[in-house]
Amino acid sequence: MIPYIERTRAYYSAQGYPPYDWACNDTIAFTAMPKPLRECRLALITTAAPYQESLPDQGPGAPYNAAAKFYDVFSAPLDPCPDLRISHIAYDRKHCKADDINTWLPVWALFQAQSDGAFAELAPELIGVPTNRSQRVTTQQDAPAALARVQTMQADVALLVPT
Amino acid sequence: MGCARDIVESVGVARFWWSDFPLGHSVRMPHDVVSQRATLAGALSLFDAADEPGTTVASTQVWADDDAWKKDFMDVASLSTAHLEKLKKGHEETRAMKATSR
Repeated sequence: MIPYIERTRAYYSAQGYPPYDWACNDTIAFTAMPKPLRECRLALITTAAPYQESLPDQGPGAPYNAAAKFYDVFSAPLDPCPDLRISHIAYDRKHCKADDINTWLPVWALFQAQSDGAFAELAPELIGVPTNRSQRVTTQQDAPAALARVQTMQADVALLVPT
Repeated sequence: MGCARDIVESVGVARFWWSDFPLGHSVRMPHDVVSQRATLAGALSLFDAADEPGTTVASTQVWADDDAWKKDFMDVASLSTAHLEKLKKGHEETRAMKATSR
């Protein structure tokens, strides 16, 4: 396992920044399933960003692109699959070419799973959540906004796929 | 479902399907439908199977024959002073951009 927290701290420390304070919660939320997954409506949550034609390179192999970041929760229809990319995230650029959207956004996979009966229904829109690097903003603003959208979609469960 | 196990477990989530893949591959190996089916099936199975918070299950899929790739991510030792300065300049630009975007 890669020690991401340790690596991140060393990486930013070498640039003169104080250690990043990763969230560390002693209590973990858990809700038992009220019914089997095969009877549930599932919502997809992603940290990928909408492609913006007006911005610099967001394609495969693009360097870190802060301009592509977004700062508010959004929704987007799943069909057709939205063009969401990850140039705004510090993923592994040496070993991830980012040339296959299906490695970070399982839209096609979820439609297949729905057809196979893994769950009853896929919510028609995905939910995009920003990577705001602020525990306060995440817990007080973004998470409640994402939850509200899950509830509006009347989804029973949510699958979060961070990059 | 994701790749950064220590971060996810520090935050604490109800159910986590962990793939020991390079960041950017939370769902599957690139262009690999078999990998995708296995990852998604594993992640979805946790909805019904997990009975306590902080349940992590590791995928049995292996990224490469050896672990050499794991040394590369944010490998400070491999970065020159000039490159570190360039990175810092980029981070400062990001901060400025973020300040004007909110």
